[in-house]
Amino acid sequence: MTPILETEGLSKRYGRKPALSDCTLTLPPGRIVGLVGPNGAGKSTLLGLACGLIRPTAGSITVLGERPAANATQLARVGFVAQDTPVYSGLSVADHLRLGARLNRSWDQQLAEQRIKQLGLDPAQRAGRLSGGQRAQLALTIAAAKRPELLIFDEPVASLDPLARRAFLRNLLEFVAELDVSVVLSSHVLSDLEQVCDYLVVLVASRVQLAGDVQDLLAEHYLLSGSRADLAGLPATIEVIQVEHTPLRSTAVVRCTTPIPRAILDAEPVSLEQMTMAYLTRAVEMSEPSFSTKALEVQR
Amino acid sequence: MIWLAWRQFRIQLLVTLAAIAALAIYLVFFGRGVHHFYDTQIAGCTGETCANAQEVFNDKYFNESMLIGAALLFLPALIGCFWGAPLIARELETGTHRLVWNQSVTRTRWLAVKLGFIALFSLAVTGLLSLLLSWAAQPIDKLFGSRFGPMTFDSRDIAPLGYAVFAFILGTTIGLLIRRTLPAMAVTLAIFIAVQIAMPTLIRPHLMSPITSTVAFTSDFLENKQIDGIGSSGTSGGSSGDTTPVGIFGYNKPGAWVLSSPFHALLKADGSAFTRVDMRSCMTGEQTRDGTCLASKNVHFNITYHPASRYWTFQWIETAIFLALALALAAVCFWRIPRGFS
Repeated sequence: MTPILETEGLSKRYGRKPALSDCTLTLPPGRIVGLVGPNGAGKSTLLGLACGLIRPTAGSITVLGERPAANATQLARVGFVAQDTPVYSGLSVADHLRLGARLNRSWDQQLAEQRIKQLGLDPAQRAGRLSGGQRAQLALTIAAAKRPELLIFDEPVASLDPLARRAFLRNLLEFVAELDVSVVLSSHVLSDLEQVCDYLVVLVASRVQLAGDVQDLLAEHYLLSGSRADLAGLPATIEVIQVEHTPLRSTAVVRCTTPIPRAILDAEPVSLEQMTMAYLTRAVEMSEPSFSTKALEVQR
Repeated sequence: MIWLAWRQFRIQLLVTLAAIAALAIYLVFFGRGVHHFYDTQIAGCTGETCANAQEVFNDKYFNESMLIGAALLFLPALIGCFWGAPLIARELETGTHRLVWNQSVTRTRWLAVKLGFIALFSLAVTGLLSLLLSWAAQPIDKLFGSRFGPMTFDSRDIAPLGYAVFAFILGTTIGLLIRRTLPAMAVTLAIFIAVQIAMPTLIRPHLMSPITSTVAFTSDFLENKQIDGIGSSGTSGGSSGDTTPVGIFGYNKPGAWVLSSPFHALLKADGSAFTRVDMRSCMTGEQTRDGTCLASKNVHFNITYHPASRYWTFQWIETAIFLALALALAAVCFWRIPRGFS
């Protein structure tokens, strides 16, 4: 099956500042892919490249096997909900549906109307008067009713309060099951993604740190604890992602693709948060030797 | 896509239509007044009555026609600022380009429909007003023979069409490059005004090579009002001596566009300057005698000008230049848009 997104050495820089560096990724179809990373990590850049709003500086990118936004057919196959879910504030909800209907050949009016009804939105309401959550739902409806094969969301819940956030994500899940569509969504909040994703990409400081099926990743990562010396003498098959030392004990998040040797004591399974934090912290420490609080922006 | 272009533009469109309709009705009344006055009091008139009628006609309608011309000159600037500049800049500013460019319509098509739709509407609006004004002011232009005057030339016939399309696409392009509506409006206005000043003063005179010809200075010039006056150029004024050259001021060749400076030096048969001494001998106030005297010395002056017959050629060239500029700017938009925005 064609990957939903395939990049090779993909880079984007603005002037001298890299926004995305040498990104090589293959995302399988039929998944809900979570893209996590602190603000400014390059998530929006990657998603912008995927829907063709941005052109790469170097490298290649294909979405569903084609160049992003190459033609009307390709545009019809990808639904995109941009950050801050922009809508025309002067147009009504009904106007937005009409816009979708006029601009998309594969438009599913029934689906759109049904969703608007379910959400309790007044079709005559101006979009500028909608709450953040309602606006996000309207943007989601427009993107979904064009019946794409791939739906891309850039920080869809960033501006929502916790309640609206949960409602949006739950709604999204129901929706995806109904529509049989692949999804990529980004967030700087891991817990948002944890609820819905089965595939994870960690992006920090313009580079991909980790990518894979959530279950596979969790099965390959362990939390080890022991003395400093114990952790220093690990076999080569075990890759240490990040270590934390306290005077008494050291703990490390490690990756090991083969079964972990019996001799190593205290190998515990790792949570998605522990694993992700380990990669984030490592990346931040590497890019900025004095530890910054940036990684801490990825909170639970 | 046309639906969206219409939906986003309809309020401006209706407001404009209302304003245009009011202006058009006013122009019809104005034009009927002008034509009626001209047909009943000036056409076929003779002598003193005629001069008086022309005076009244001038007082009554000339300034008003100039004002309407100025308004029509300003219309393309408004189109550029209010329709052109926000067209893309507003989408980029509010982020809605990320919504609309991800529907199943390519950005190229989106741009083509938007540009085409509003450019056509700009053409229609400007064309209608220009047509009405050209008709209404036709007797004035004919009588005062100033069709090449900057205000007149720019607000009649087809030239405004070129300005309108140019201003609209200029605004769009500036908006696309600056990405913010208000600065884009200001820059558009500044550039458009600069172009509108540079065109008639620096560029238009050279669009065709002017004709140089010699005009005999006869006693007729002393009688009628074809010139503003006779005298010496420069600041020396009355203290000048007998050998100071003499010339005429403000020579007006009806319908033509005289390029040479308002002061034309008078020359004698051998090309030497006609001086104050000569003037005293040939301008005594006795018409017959003066006429013979001027003729015997073959007093003349040289002018450079574009003849009245070139009016339409100039109109077409001007319109073509602005349409070509508009096309070039549109090409910039079509080149820039698919290249992405951060």
